[in-house]
Amino acid sequence: MPSKQAHIRKQLVAYSFIAPNFIGFAVFTLVPIVFAIALAFLHWDGSNPIEWAGLANFRNLLDDDQFKAALKNTIVYTAGTVPLTLISSLLLAVLLNQGIKGRNFFRTVSFFPYVASLVAVAAVWNMIFNPSKGPVNMLLYTLGFENVPGWAADKDWAMITIILFSVWKYMGYYMIIYLAGLQGINPELYEAANLDGTNVWQRFRYVTVPQLSATTFFVMVMLTIQCFKVYDIVYMVTQGGPGTATLVLVYDIYNKAFISWNLGSASAVAMVLFALVLIVTLIQFRGNRKLQ
Amino acid sequence: MQVQSIQTKTITTILYALLILCALAMLLPFVWMVSASLKLDKDVFTFPIEWIPSNPRWENYLEIWTTIPLGTFIKNTAKLTVIVTILQLLTSSFAAYAFAKLEFKGRDLLFLGYVATIAMPWQVYMVPQFIMMRSFGLNNTHLAIIFLQAFSAFGVFLMKQFYMSIPDELCEAARIDGMSEYRIWAQIMLPLSKPALSTLTIFTFVNTWNDFLGPLLYLTRMELKTVQIGLRMFISQYSSEYGLIMAASVVALIPVVIVFLSLQKFFVQGVATAGLKG
Amino acid sequence: MKKVLTIVLVLSLVFTSVFATGTKEAAAQASAGETTLKWALWDIASTTYYEPLIKAYEAKNPNVKIEMLDLGSADFMTMLQTQLSGGDSSIDVVTIKDIPGYNNLVKRNLLLNLNDKIKSEGVDLSLYGGTTDQISVDSKLYGIPFRSDFWIVYYNKDVFDKAGVAYPDNDMTFAEYDALARKMTSGVGANKVYGAHYHTWRSAVQLFGILDGKNTIVGGKYDFLKPYYQMVLNQQKDGVVQDYATLKTSSTHYSGVFYNNSVAMMNMGSWFIATLINQIDQGKTEVKNWGLVKYPHAEGVPAGTTLGTITSLGVSNASKKQDAAFDFVKFVTGPEGAEIIAKTGTIPAIKTAEVVKIIAAKPGFPTDQASRDALQVAKTYLEMPLHERAGEIEVVLNQVHDEIMTNNISVDAGIVKMNDQIQKILAK
Repeated sequence: MPSKQAHIRKQLVAYSFIAPNFIGFAVFTLVPIVFAIALAFLHWDGSNPIEWAGLANFRNLLDDDQFKAALKNTIVYTAGTVPLTLISSLLLAVLLNQGIKGRNFFRTVSFFPYVASLVAVAAVWNMIFNPSKGPVNMLLYTLGFENVPGWAADKDWAMITIILFSVWKYMGYYMIIYLAGLQGINPELYEAANLDGTNVWQRFRYVTVPQLSATTFFVMVMLTIQCFKVYDIVYMVTQGGPGTATLVLVYDIYNKAFISWNLGSASAVAMVLFALVLIVTLIQFRGNRKLQ
Repeated sequence: MQVQSIQTKTITTILYALLILCALAMLLPFVWMVSASLKLDKDVFTFPIEWIPSNPRWENYLEIWTTIPLGTFIKNTAKLTVIVTILQLLTSSFAAYAFAKLEFKGRDLLFLGYVATIAMPWQVYMVPQFIMMRSFGLNNTHLAIIFLQAFSAFGVFLMKQFYMSIPDELCEAARIDGMSEYRIWAQIMLPLSKPALSTLTIFTFVNTWNDFLGPLLYLTRMELKTVQIGLRMFISQYSSEYGLIMAASVVALIPVVIVFLSLQKFFVQGVATAGLKG
Repeated sequence: MKKVLTIVLVLSLVFTSVFATGTKEAAAQASAGETTLKWALWDIASTTYYEPLIKAYEAKNPNVKIEMLDLGSADFMTMLQTQLSGGDSSIDVVTIKDIPGYNNLVKRNLLLNLNDKIKSEGVDLSLYGGTTDQISVDSKLYGIPFRSDFWIVYYNKDVFDKAGVAYPDNDMTFAEYDALARKMTSGVGANKVYGAHYHTWRSAVQLFGILDGKNTIVGGKYDFLKPYYQMVLNQQKDGVVQDYATLKTSSTHYSGVFYNNSVAMMNMGSWFIATLINQIDQGKTEVKNWGLVKYPHAEGVPAGTTLGTITSLGVSNASKKQDAAFDFVKFVTGPEGAEIIAKTGTIPAIKTAEVVKIIAAKPGFPTDQASRDALQVAKTYLEMPLHERAGEIEVVLNQVHDEIMTNNISVDAGIVKMNDQIQKILAK
C-alpha cells in the first residue's frame, strides 16, 4: 500500500500534466462561459447596466416562433447528419486502409472538402445544385425526371441539401480519425481471423468495428456536438431559409444576440442547446462504458 | 496493412469504381474553383460549364496581390497557425496523458468539463470573452487569437481517446523500470502517438488557418489581419468579381494542402508496430 | 527530464516573442501632440469618398489626424456594436449603416446625444430635407446623415433600342411599369432578355407597398402588400424577371445581372450610380448606354416618391475626444463634405441644386435630361423606419419574403404569417 506522501506526490504530478492546458482553457474559455451561463438569467444588452431576469428569458422561449422552428430544425439536422457521416466516413476509411493503388491520392482528395474555405465551396455547391440551371438538375431532367427537387430553394428539400453538404464537407475529416484508429488495430487480430476462415464482412463486423469502438465514440460525440452547433454551413448555403426551413439554434442565438442585442435571450437558447448536447453526450458515454 | 488473399477481381473493381465515384464528387467542385479562377467574372457562371477556359486569365492571380495586402495576411496567418499548432500539440498531449493514464481526484469531472465546453457555441460567450480580452489589453493583438485557439478542449479530447487505445501495461512496465511519468510521456507515449499528433496537427492547422469570426472580431487593424478576412474583404467589396474570389480561394487553400500532404506519411506509416507488440 | 526542460524552454520562448510583439504594437499606437480620431467605417478600398474627405479635413485642421477602422460591410453593424460593447473608448466617430442598428446603438446608450452640440455649433438641420426628423428618437438626434440614397430605375438603352421600344419615363405608374417590363421580355436561352430585375432583398419588392404613404412596414398589418407581391410573382411566373430562387441560391449580385445586357430595367438604390460609371470606365461590363428614371408609383401618388436609405455619422458615447469628433462629423455631413461626396458620384444627404448638378455632370453619367431629372425626389420613405423592435421585425419580414418569393407559401398565407408573428413581437 502506497504511503500518503507518495499518493499526494502522484496527484501533484497528474495535476502538473493538466495545468498548462487547463489554465489557458479556464481563463479564456471557462470564465466567459460561466459568465454566459449567468447571462441566461439576466437582461443585458452588452452595454447598459445588467438587470435580473430570473426565468423570464426561458419563459419567453415557450412562445417564440423562431426558437421553436430552430429547435425542430436542429434536431432534424442532427438526426440526419450524424448517422450518414459516421457510416460514410467509416466505410471510406476502411476502403482507403486497403493496400490499393493510389490510396494516397484518394485520401488527399477526400480531405479536400474539409480543408477548403467554406465560403468558396458553398458558392460552388450552390451553383451545382442550382434548381433551374445547375448540372445536377440538368442531369435529372435528361434522365427523364419531371419534378426535379428545388434543393436549397424548396422548403422540403433545403434541409436535405444542408445535410448532404455537411456529409460531403466533413466526411473526409472523420475518415482521417477513423484511419488513424484503423492503424492502431493490431494486425495479428486480422491474421487470426483469417486463419478462422472468415469473410470480409465478418472481419469488418467482428474485428474492425469492436476495435474501433473508442474511435467511434469520439467521432459520434464530436459529430453530435458539431451538428447541434451548426451555423456556418446554414449561413452560407440557405441563410436559414426558405422562410425558417433551415433556421437552426445557433442561427437563432446569433439573431437574438447581434440583431436584437438581447444577450440574455440568446444565452437562454444556448442553455437549451447545451442541455440537449449534454443529455445526448451522457447517453453516448453510458453506451460507450457498457460496450467496454 | 492488407486484408490478404481472398481479394477477387470483382471486389477490386467495385472498390475502385466506388472510390473513383467518391473522388469525383469530392474533386469536381475544386476543378470548378480553379477553372473559375482563370475566367472573367462574367464568364464564371455561364452554362454549360467551360471546364478549361479557352482564354485563361492568369492576371487574376497577379491582381489579388495588389487589390488587398494578401502577402501580409498570409504572413500573419502562418505565424498564428504555427504558434497555435505547437502550443495545442504540447499542452493537449500533456494533459491528455494525465486523463488517460493517471489516477487523480476529480479526473472524470474535469474531463466532463472539457467535453461540456465543446458543446458551447462560441457565439454565446463571444461578447463576454471579447470584453474580458480587451480589459487584458489583448484587443488588436495576435496573442488574443493564440489564446483563443491554443487551449481548445478538442485537442485534449482527441489525444485522450488515442492514449486510451495504448495498453496500460506499457506504462506499468516503464514505472517498474523506475521511469518518471514525464519520461514515460516523452519517451513512450509521444513516439507512439505520431498518428494522433499528426491528426491533431492537421485539424488545428486547418481550423486556425480557416478561422474567420475570431480574427474578424479581434483584428481590426489592417496589418494584423488574416487570410480568411482577406477572402471576406474580397467578397464584400468586390462581390461580383468571382474570378478574383476564386483565385484568392485557391491561394488560401495551398498551404493547408501542403501541410496535409507532408503529414499524410505519418498516417500511412502508422503506429510503430514494435511498441504495440511489446 | 531533459526533454521536458527543452519543451518548457521552447514554450517560454514562444510566449515571450509573442508578448514582445504585442507590447511593441501597443507602444506604436501612442503618438504625441496631435489629436487622432478613429473613424469606424467599411470597405475602404472600394469607397471613393473617404480619402478626399479626410484629406480636406486634415488640410483645414493640421493638428488632427483621422484614422480609418475598416470593419467590413457584411457584418458592419454587428462588428461595430461588439467593438463598442462594455464602454470602449478607442472609436470616436461612428458610421451608422442601417436603422435597426442605429436603433440598437441608441437603446444601448452607445451614441452621444448631439442636440446640444448642434445648437451650440449652429448646424442647420433644415438642409437635410427632413431626414433628421426621421432618425430623431424622442426629438433627440444621435447621428447626422451624410449620405442619403434613394431608389430609382436603371435601364439599358441598347436593349430598348434593339427592341424598338421607347425608353421608360419619369412618371410611371406600377401598371405602366409592369406593362413595359412585359413588353421588353423576349428571346430564349442566350438571347433571353428580362424586362425587369429584382434583387433578392425584401426592399426591392415588398417596399413597393409603402410608397402610397398609407401604411408602414412596422405597423403589424401587411394586407396592403398583396397586389405588389402578386405583380412580381406573376412576372416571375411569366419569365419577365429572373427566378428569385435561382438568384438566391447562386448568390447572384445585381450588378452582374445588369452588366450582361440581359435585363431591360432594374430598380436599385442610387449608390449603384458611382459603381456603374466606374465599371464601365474600366471596361468590366457589356453595358454601354444606360439611363435613369424615377421609381414607379401607385395611382394618385406623385412621381418621384421613393424609398430612402440614410447613412449617418455619430459620436461614440465613450469617446474621450467628443468635441474634436463632433467637429469632424460636422464637416463631413455639412455643405463642404456634401460637395466632396457628390464629386465621387455618391448622393450626399444635403441635396442642394448645386450638388445634384455636380453628380449629373460627372463624366459617365447619362447625358439625357430625363436621367438628370430622375435625381429630383419628391418624397422618400425609409426602408426601415425607426422602431424599438426594428431588428426583430426585420428578421420576420425577411423570412416571409423569402418564403413567398420561392413559392413555398401563398401570398395570403404569408401575409397572415407576418401579421401574426409581428403583432406578437409588437405586443411584447
